[in-house]
Formats: sequence, structure tokens, C-alpha cells
Amino acid sequence: MWSYTFRRVLMTIPTLLLVITVCYLMLHATPGGPFDGERKVSAAVMANLQAKYHLDLPLWQQYLYYLKSLLQGDLGASFRYADWSVNDLVAKALPVSLTIGGGSLLISVLIGVLLGTVAALRQNSIVDYFVMLLGNVGSAFPSFVIGPVLILVFAIWLGWMPAGGWDGFDVRYMILPMALLTFINVSTIGRVMRGSLIEVLNSNFIRTARAKGLPLRTIVVRHALKPALLPVVSVIGPLAISSITSAVVTESVFSLPGLGKLIVNGASNRDYTLVLGLVVLVTVVAVLLNLLVDLAYALLDPKIRY
Amino acid sequence: MTHKTALRMVAASVALALAGVSGAALAAKVPAGVQLSPKQELVRNNGSETETLDPAIAESVGANNLTRDLFEGLTATDADGKVVPGVAETWKQKDPTTWVFNLRKNAKWSDGTPVTADDFVYGWQRFLDPKTASPYASTYGTFVLNGLEVAEGKKKPAELGIKALDKYTLEVKTPYPVAFLPDVVSNLNLGPVPKAAVEKYGKDWTKPGKMVSNGAFVLKDWQVNSKVVLEKNPQYWDAKNVQLTRVTYLPVEDGYADVKLFQSGENDWVYQLPPGTYDKYKAEFPKDIRNAPMLGLRYYSFNNKDPLLKDVRVRKALSMVIDRDILAKKITADGQVPAYGVIVRGTSGADVTTYDWASWPMAKRVEEARKLLAAAGVKPGTKIKFTYNTSEYHKKMAIFAASEWKTKLGLDTQLENMEFKVLLKKRHDGDFQIARNGWVADYNDATTFLTLVQCKSDQNDNFNCNPKAEELIKQGNASQDAAKRKQLLTQAAKLVMEDYPMLPLLQYTVPRLVKSYVGGYSLKNPMDRYRSKDLYIIKH
Amino acid sequence: MLFRSKQSALAGTLDNALNNAPVEGRSPWVDARRRFFRNKAAVASMIILTLITLACIFGPMVLPHSYEDTDWEAMSMPPTTLNMHFFGTDELGRDLLVRCLIGGRISLMVGLLATIASVTIGIVWGATAGFIGGKVDAFMMRLVDMMYAVPYLLIAILMVTLLGREFYLVVLTITVFSWMDMARVVRGQTLSIKSKEYVEAARAIGVSTPKLIFRHVVPNLLGIVVIYTTVTVPGVILTESVLSFLGLGVQEPMTSWGVLIEDGTGVMETTPWILLFPAGLLSVTLYCANYIGDGMRDALDPKDR
Repeated sequence: MWSYTFRRVLMTIPTLLLVITVCYLMLHATPGGPFDGERKVSAAVMANLQAKYHLDLPLWQQYLYYLKSLLQGDLGASFRYADWSVNDLVAKALPVSLTIGGGSLLISVLIGVLLGTVAALRQNSIVDYFVMLLGNVGSAFPSFVIGPVLILVFAIWLGWMPAGGWDGFDVRYMILPMALLTFINVSTIGRVMRGSLIEVLNSNFIRTARAKGLPLRTIVVRHALKPALLPVVSVIGPLAISSITSAVVTESVFSLPGLGKLIVNGASNRDYTLVLGLVVLVTVVAVLLNLLVDLAYALLDPKIRY
Repeated sequence: MTHKTALRMVAASVALALAGVSGAALAAKVPAGVQLSPKQELVRNNGSETETLDPAIAESVGANNLTRDLFEGLTATDADGKVVPGVAETWKQKDPTTWVFNLRKNAKWSDGTPVTADDFVYGWQRFLDPKTASPYASTYGTFVLNGLEVAEGKKKPAELGIKALDKYTLEVKTPYPVAFLPDVVSNLNLGPVPKAAVEKYGKDWTKPGKMVSNGAFVLKDWQVNSKVVLEKNPQYWDAKNVQLTRVTYLPVEDGYADVKLFQSGENDWVYQLPPGTYDKYKAEFPKDIRNAPMLGLRYYSFNNKDPLLKDVRVRKALSMVIDRDILAKKITADGQVPAYGVIVRGTSGADVTTYDWASWPMAKRVEEARKLLAAAGVKPGTKIKFTYNTSEYHKKMAIFAASEWKTKLGLDTQLENMEFKVLLKKRHDGDFQIARNGWVADYNDATTFLTLVQCKSDQNDNFNCNPKAEELIKQGNASQDAAKRKQLLTQAAKLVMEDYPMLPLLQYTVPRLVKSYVGGYSLKNPMDRYRSKDLYIIKH
Repeated sequence: MLFRSKQSALAGTLDNALNNAPVEGRSPWVDARRRFFRNKAAVASMIILTLITLACIFGPMVLPHSYEDTDWEAMSMPPTTLNMHFFGTDELGRDLLVRCLIGGRISLMVGLLATIASVTIGIVWGATAGFIGGKVDAFMMRLVDMMYAVPYLLIAILMVTLLGREFYLVVLTITVFSWMDMARVVRGQTLSIKSKEYVEAARAIGVSTPKLIFRHVVPNLLGIVVIYTTVTVPGVILTESVLSFLGLGVQEPMTSWGVLIEDGTGVMETTPWILLFPAGLLSVTLYCANYIGDGMRDALDPKDR
């Protein structure tokens, strides 16, 4: 298993290189540069700006320059946020995204598994339909509708929570965004759980257990739950990646200073270094999360060996 | 703005040219009878995250709002947009190209050291140094002797026309007479910079705990994409007239999110209302709604080099049929004023011009426009391409314009929306037919708007050129007589607009919600520049 | 992003379910249909979805309004029978019913086309990798892994900016990031089919590899493809709406449910119908698609007897 882990980590390098190169080329091919503004700057000023950020070099030299500083752990200077290095920006946004995304994921797993189990045990009944109706809210309404509705109800009408923003790690500011992400994640986890539990309940060993006269409760808790959870584990990876790194809508609706906001602002401002820095981060996070999920999978499923 | 346009600004405001403005302290004047709240804290949304807190490289409106609170230049502008003394107590135009500023001796940095003439010399040299690469270097550099040459790297920063005669006396040389220099130096790009802090911390000098500033406020906290917190600067020379103890700037971009924060009480100051919501919020928050015109023009650029649009008759027809009244009243519905010329109301240095057909009934305008199109050989069904950047506001206006051209002229408009940066690129490259455009004045003078339609101006996206108008502008700027200058510039504006180089639509307003207990908010501020120094919280 | 994870979610389940499943000789379709019709929610969903689709196709033809004609005298009108504005009008006085139906055409088409495209790519990629195996397999699947690591949204923004916002380009943008789950699932399935006797027999009599893949392997993947398609459609439609939220949707005056909803959210307090109608249509469609997907999954689950 260690050698497997090692190989997977090693795979990060070509992945990173490929992703960086593709993004790099796409960014530079996109019309408009970081210093194009409503007021056109004079040629001399443009030259100064480009020199300051090494944009006057040929593209391949800039690329090599970037890779070189990347090797030293330096993601470069941001164009859009001129006073900050990309390292600073990422270091500030990552904890916010981790808290919101990771926190909501934990809650989602609990709720999703519960809903999925209830629905599976009452398959094709009114309870099943209703639970899935509830669980699927997050995949039937766009998040940019759910979010404002949450704000309207809980922040403006009831006045229980702030309408957005971020204050240190004040819990009040986390509740609504986490609720929104939970809606989204529960719909996925709930459906997967329902599907996989139905499958497991129909498998031979459960039938045997039932034939032996074990109560359903014991069967589900002792025997069915663990194998049914396997597919749930396998979705946690992608869900975590999207909740942490790409919760753009959530961050925009609730004005949160997270990673998604940086990605979108970086791209629209042609902040090459910021975008590439985030690409590096997202890629590494994605690879690590997928690896963690695979390892967890192996721990749960005795059939899998690496 | 080019060197040439700057030359034309000679002799703008007579009042400012008068030497020796009195140095009385003009600050947050709380009218008699107003009871102040014990808690003097303000939260104002700034529209987006600031790109910097370094006054030399600040470019956006938001960044300038912050640097205006943190720093103070030689002069400043008050709530009504009038020039008032800043660090300089008095100033004098010694000869046409030499200015002397007398600094007040009680101005201090937030670390307690005095603000001296050297701080300005350092600040200006740093601002124009190519290594600093300030986007505004050529805009303001043109007003200082050798400014452009320094920005272009042709001369050393030490050769810049600014000199400390002694610790509290500053001499500024201009390349030509600039009568409105006191107005220009209120911009913080031309402010003082604390050399010691910059040299000690490098790029990090603008961070909380490291920044040293000389304005009414100091930097307390800065969370990117979350907030910038300022606190009252006890070292500020006029601190007794500063009421607010804490100002929090938010970077909320989404207009709806902004309003929701206002409604839930976390924000006192909505940056700008989303399009089409003005009437609604006016009814809902009658005490908080604030709306005033500012020096800005919404217009559409015609590509004058385009095969179809190079015919002035086509451009005229397209302009004639747009019903600006409906656009202002029903589409944007936020109190904006119809515009028929390049100069907007409230601009000094030229009068507003208009078209004779502006007062005609629409039916007559349509009839005339159809004739023009027929004469130009443009048949109904002809396709025109309209380019705009993604935004609710621009989308609505674009759909309106397309509908006008379709129903009144039978033209088939293809809308094309794109990201802002792509639009900028296309506009600058002339890769469009008709494009969304807009301009907000950098300073209050007609020349800032005339740059939009002048030959070879950086800001001319229409690619038009009228040599006669150009000549009039030149004559106007050479004139020492303010009335004569105004007449010539007005004439030029009228003449160039008869070519229909662009399609003026509306004059900007700033519709926003500001809590009724925020005092000192003037509706006569044409540049939308509000110092927190002038604001206070009324007891509520 | 949202839907990518959902696809992998179901892909995971399917992987489990189908990889180990014996490929039945007798017609599984009759069984499946019987099981599907036992699921009342799925059947009801099917009917509703059909009705919505028909309305989107034929509605605009019979209604008196055009989706792009503005009416400055009738802006933001609530639903009324007057002038046949049954859903009211939007902020520019355009008939909301027609716009919802036209938007539905776009959203459903995006859903359908992007699904077909990504399913096709997924099948070809997965079947090829699974069947050839060895280094080719390893390489192809590593590429899939890499695609998972790419920040989807960023590339989507750049692609739309670079290429423009034509309808088919939106489809392309969505497709690029939605084929990988299919590829993974199909590969797994192919690996198990490959070792079946009939495939080995075919190989023994010298059938060429491409022919083997498309004659013998692909047809046996149909079950999974059908389920998968129903799962992908709602995800893709939802992704289109997120793109619209980011200002990357189809070009005005053309519209989609995502664009309509995005327009409606801002004014939901004053003129709620501008949000409610498109949001209602979208969510009913997505609910239906989800129920149908669950129904299909249950019906084609080989263990569920």
C-alpha cells in the first residue's frame, strides 16, 4: 500500500505539469490582458507594467520562469491584488473554503446516509418518494436560487443570521453558506446511499441473514450498512473537491472570501499568476483527496488490495 | 490623456488660479442641532475588492476611496466636490509654470513624525518611476515638468519638477501653465508616501501593522475579499473634526447581495443599486435612498471605419431613433438624464450641446432616419452587430437599443455579449461595429470628455477625427480668457458631435441606499468622492 | 462541478452493481420494464416530462407572442389572461410563457446533446481502454484522472471566453467535463465482458479488435448507458444554469431556463413570477429526471429480483 501511495503521489507531477501548461496556454490565448482597463493606459505605462511582471519576455521564457519559481514554492505576485503574493491570497482563502466545504460535507454525510437509508428501507413507497423529494432539493433547484431564498427567510425576514460576509471564524456567518452546500451534497449522498443500500439488501448474504430470522434493524446496522457505505465513500472525493475549491455560487451569494471567488475574479481579470496558483492548489487538493478516498475504500473493502 | 490634451487645460478655473487660498480647517461640519450617535462607526460597500492600498498605484474608484481616507494630499475635495486645503495650508502660482505650496507644520504621519515637503517629493518621484509602473502615471504625470519623460524612463525621477525648498515649502514646476493644479493634486496618486516604511517593508508596507499614513484614518485590518477596516487617526492634524472612529469597507460586487446586507443591517451604504430596482427601493426606503447625477456618460461607440457605419447618415439615423426618455424612465429607471452630446451637465469648461432633432416628436425622427438610411442605401433587414460586456445593466440597454432599431428602422441587430476584458480588447482594436461604452470624469473639465472624440486620443474608441473641432479645442486651450475658452470648447463639442462619431445615451447617476443616519452625504458631489472625514453618524 | 460529482456518485454505484453482474442471456428488458412500472414516481415523472417537452416544442408555435418582442407598455406584468400573457411578462415586457418554453428548448437540448456527446465519448474511451488493456489502458485512465483534477469552472470560463457563447459551444464546454465518469464505468464493465465466453469465441475466429468492441462489447453496455443517460441529463441542465449565473449562458435574446432564473432571482421579492415560472419548470424537470433515473437504476439492477 505504501508503494501504491507513493506512485499515486508521484503521478501528481505529470498531472500538474499538464494542467498548468494547458491553463497557461488557454489563459494567454484569451483576449484581453491583465492591464487592459476602461481607461486605456499609454504605451509607456503599459511597457512599465509588463516589465514589472515579466510579461515583456517571450511566452516560453515566462513559462519557464513560472515553473522555476513554482519549484521554489513561490506562486508569484498577483496582478489583480497588487499588494499580495499569490501565496498570501491562497493561504487566506483556503481556510475559509476548507471550513465551509469540509464542514458542510460532514453534515451532508450524516443527513444523506440517514435519508438514503430511510428511503431504501421503504423503497417505492410514499415515504421513499417524499424523502427523496426533500433530499433532492439541492439537485433540482440551482444553488443561486436556494441561496438568496435562505438569505431572504433567515437573514431578512427572521433576522436570525447575517445576510453574508465573513468575520474571522464567527459561526453565525458560516451557517447559511454551509446549509446551502449541505443541500447540494445531501442530494448526491442521499441518492447514492439509497441506491447502494437497495442493492445490498437484495444480495444473497442479506437474504440469508433474513432467512435466519434476524430482525431488520440488526441486519441493516450490523451487515448492510458497511458495504452500502462503500459507494458513498467513493463520492466523497469529488464532492469534497467541488465543495472546497469550486463553491463559486455559494461564495458569491454570501460574499465569502474563499477560493472559488479568487478563481472567478482571477480568470476575469486575467490574473495569470493567481489563476495558475489556484490551478496548482486545486490539482494538488484533488489528487490528495482522491488518494485519501481510495485508501479509505481499501480499508472498508477487504476485496481491494493495492 | 495625452500631453497634448493637458496643454489644452490651461486656464480652466479662474478661481483656483487665484493665489493664496485661505487655510481654514474645513472638515466634517455637523450642522447645529444634529445630535451625534455615541457609536461613530460606518460600514460602506466599496463595490469590489481594492487592487491595492498603495496610493501610487491605486487606479479604481474603490482603491481611491480607501487611499483618500488613509492619506491626504496637498489639497483635498470636500463633500460638495470643492477643493479645500489638505497638508498644504496655502498655495500660490508664483509664475505661470511654478507653484509654491506651504505645508502646515502640524501635519503628522500616524507614527508621529511630521509630514514634510520631502515626503511629497518622494511620493511623486515614486509615483512616476517606471519601476512603480503606476497605471495613472501618464494621466497626472503630464502636469508635472518632466513627468512623462520620467514615466517613460527617459529621465531620472530626480529630474522631476518637484522640489522641497525647505521642510515645509514645496515647489512644483509644470511644463505649461496648469491653472487647476490645486484640483489635480487632491488626487492621492500625487500624495505623500512614508519613505521609511516603504524602505523597511517593501511591498508589504500597505499591510495592517506596517502601514504608516497621514490621513484622517489608519489601517486597522485588511481581509482580502472580506473587508478593510480603518480607524480614526489620533495623529491627524484635524482629528478633532473627524467624527467617525471606525470605517469598514466591504468588497461586495453583487448588487443584490449588497442590498440584502443593507436590509439585514450589516451595511450602511449600498455601492450602487441593481438596475431596475431604484423605484422599488425608493418606495421601500424613502429616507435612505440617495441619487444624484455625476460627471459620467453612457454611450455607444460607432466604429467609424466600419464599411456600413462610415457613412454619417447611417450613424445619424441610428442615433435619432433611440428614445432616451423611455430608456431613462422605463429601462434603467434610476433617474439618469438623457444625453445628446459628449459633454454632460455640471461639467465646467464647456456647455452641454444637443441635437436639433432631440425635441422633435418621435414619428418625425423615425421618418427622417428612414430617409437617411434609404439615401445611404441601407435596406431594412440589414444586419448590425452590437457588442457589450456581460452585465444586467448593459444587457437591458442593449435589448432596448436593438428593439428600437428593429421596430423603427427594420434593422436586424445581433447582440453579442462578452467578458469585459474581451470587449476592451475589441474596442481598442476596432474589432466591432457598435460597442457599449462609458466614461467617468477624472477631473471636472470639459477636456476629459472631449478625449473621447478627439483625433488619435487613447480614449477614442470610435476612430473618428474632425480636424476643425481639433483646431477649435487647441484655440480654446490657448486662450487665457475662461469665457472664450468655454465658448470655443462648446463649439468644438457641437461640431464634432455633428459627425455622429458616437451615440450618447445617458448621464450617469449614482442611485444608492445610504442609511438615513449617515450625515454629511452631499448630493452635490459631482465626482462621487466621499471622504469618511466628512461623514458622521446621527443619533438614531 | 455539481453534476460531475453526482455522476461519479452514481457511477460508483453502477460500477459496483454492474461490474460483477452476470450478463444475462434471456431478455432482461421485459423484467426491467415490469420493475420500472412498479415505481409510480418514475412513471408519473415520465408522463410529466413528456408533457413539458411537448409544450416546449409546440407551445411557441401556437402562442401569439414571440420570445424576443419587447413591449414597453407591459413591463413586469403579473400573470394574466389579458393579451394571453399567462405567465406574465419579464422586465422588458417580453412574454414569459413563450420565453420559458423557448428557454426549455435550449435547456433540454443542452441536456440532451451534451449527454449524448459525453456518453458517446465515455463509451468509446472506456470500451477502448478496457478492451485493449495494458499500457494503453493505464495511459487512457491516467488522462481521465487528470481531467478530474482540472478546475472545471476555470476552464469553462476560459473556453466560453475564448470560443464565444454559441449554443453548441456551451454544449461543448459542458461535454468536455462530463464524459469521464462514463468512461470509468464502461471500462470496468468492459473488463468483465471481455472475459466472457462469447467474446473469446469471437476473438478465436479472428474478428478484428474494433469490430469486437463495437459488435460485442458496446451492445452489452446498453443497460448501463440507459441508466447513465438519465442521470447525466439533469446534471448537465443544472450545469448550464450555473454557467448562466456566471454570465456564460446563451446569448440574448435567446434564453434558457438558467438565464431566466438568473434574471428572476434579483427581483424575486417584487415580481416573483419572473423567478417562479422558470424555476418551477426547471425543478419539476430535474425532479422528474432524477426519479426516472432512480427508477431505471432500480429496474436494471441485476440483483434486484
